[in-house]
Amino acid sequence: MRARKLAPAIARHAILIVASLIFFGPFVWMLLTSVKSSSEALSFPPTFLPREWHFENYSDLFDVAPFGMYYLNSAVVTVFTTLGQVLTSLAAGYAFARLKFRGSNVIFVVLLAALLVPFEVVFTPLISLLSSLGWLNTYQGLIVPNVPSILGVFLFRQFFSSFPTEIEDASRMDGAGVWRRFRSIMAPMATPMIGSFAILSFVYNWNNFFFQFLAVNRTEFFTVPIGLAQLQSSQAATSFNLLMAGSTLAILPVFLVFLLFQRQIVTAMSGGLR
Amino acid sequence: MARSPLERREGRAGYVLIAPTTILLMVFYLFPLAQTVVYSFTDWNPGTGTIGNVVGAQNFVDVLTNAEFLRAAGNTALYVVVVVPCSLALGLFFAALLATPFRGRGLYRTLIFTPYIAPIVGSALIFSYLLTPLGGLVNNGLGLFGFQPIAFLTSEPWAMVSVIVFSIWQLVGYTMIIYSAALSNVPPSYYEAATIDGAGPVRRFFSISLPLVAPTSGFLAITGLIGSLQVFTQVYVLTGGGPLGSTETLLYWIYQQGFVFFQGGPASAGAVILLAVGILVSVIQLKVLARRDSVELA
Repeated sequence: MRARKLAPAIARHAILIVASLIFFGPFVWMLLTSVKSSSEALSFPPTFLPREWHFENYSDLFDVAPFGMYYLNSAVVTVFTTLGQVLTSLAAGYAFARLKFRGSNVIFVVLLAALLVPFEVVFTPLISLLSSLGWLNTYQGLIVPNVPSILGVFLFRQFFSSFPTEIEDASRMDGAGVWRRFRSIMAPMATPMIGSFAILSFVYNWNNFFFQFLAVNRTEFFTVPIGLAQLQSSQAATSFNLLMAGSTLAILPVFLVFLLFQRQIVTAMSGGLR
Repeated sequence: MARSPLERREGRAGYVLIAPTTILLMVFYLFPLAQTVVYSFTDWNPGTGTIGNVVGAQNFVDVLTNAEFLRAAGNTALYVVVVVPCSLALGLFFAALLATPFRGRGLYRTLIFTPYIAPIVGSALIFSYLLTPLGGLVNNGLGLFGFQPIAFLTSEPWAMVSVIVFSIWQLVGYTMIIYSAALSNVPPSYYEAATIDGAGPVRRFFSISLPLVAPTSGFLAITGLIGSLQVFTQVYVLTGGGPLGSTETLLYWIYQQGFVFFQGGPASAGAVILLAVGILVSVIQLKVLARRDSVELA
């Protein structure tokens, strides 16, 4: 009886351990390679732990490419885009859920339809619009077009719709206007949702590649993903240790955010469905 | 219907609150969208910004008879047809394995989910290192069994296989999380009743879990399809569209037309075709979601 219960449990662990190796192993390998020498990175048979630990790979990387600047650019772009997404989505989500105004349903349906059509499709005229605004290779060019977040509007509308109306009604009776209710009651109540959405946005914005790839071509405005792709073409398969150090630097911030806020990320992701 | 002054004031506040999102979307999304449609009938040059002639439907004729476009469409179709079902099946498999509490469950879930939150450029670079012919871990492993090294990223059909395997690896964490949320909504009593009736775990999965997560499967299939239609980054990093265009996807083709050759007309026509497929899919998606009663459009 005991064996019959034990066997499936062992099989499950075996499958999941293999899966963990496949899904997470590459990141461990990246980290180990990032401190190997370039020849050891491609040695046969491969070594697991480095024979010599080359921590200077990271400082070499900063000599080869201005990763500090990439980090600064990524941080500026990610923080301001996320901030913009949270503020605009919070406001619009509240309005769609709680305020009656003519055309609100039509506008919301149009937004939903836009969510379902790939943004990437319109990139050619979008980039030419940014070019005529003089916004290519600028922070505002990297930030502003990404601020409107239909997913965010949708999440906050859902959140406010499912929230009891009594508190807000009582406050309205007391004569509190829309702004007062929004600022002092509704927005504070949405704090958990704001946190979840902000963290998910942070991850998506940090990882953004396609748009940034088109909107900048000057090194001064490269973000980490763009700089890393650039590093790949300049280091063509010769120094995988440096490339893995670069990958580590690109992946590290989102990993830290993920480890700290896993629950919020999962909530925001699955919350988009309900 | 008569509206009180209070209601009218609140209505105005509503417009102000939705203004930032809607105005920005109009400028940076709807306006370029309209331009894409208009430009698809012209010989627009994105490099100089000039439009010489209205060429009517010629761009569409050219694009739909262009061998490279058709190959890119075929590559994208192959990609979608393999990546979407495989990522769904694996995601559901792991969600089901991790559905009941046991020691280590949270850790396994985190490890399997990790690829989804890593920047694609970074993880694709890891794959290009693992798959490199001389000294890459995969070929070193194959060498132990006496295989000759395979040029995974620069030979057919391995380049496409690599892009597809990478994408499945990257997506499974997402589908797993969404399926986990769906499975956690299934009342445990269903499983208990089935167990009492003598159904084993496999039977319970196919008779209870699978049918009950069907709406989630529909949602994931269609969003996965929309996402897969736009695949670009992993192709750019892993293969650059090669060898000989064998991994070039639709978005990659449009990008090259617009940004490398400055052929704005054909690029826009290609985008409109991609858009048409996207809209078709969106309509299906709305129907699927409406059936779930989860989107209140009212």
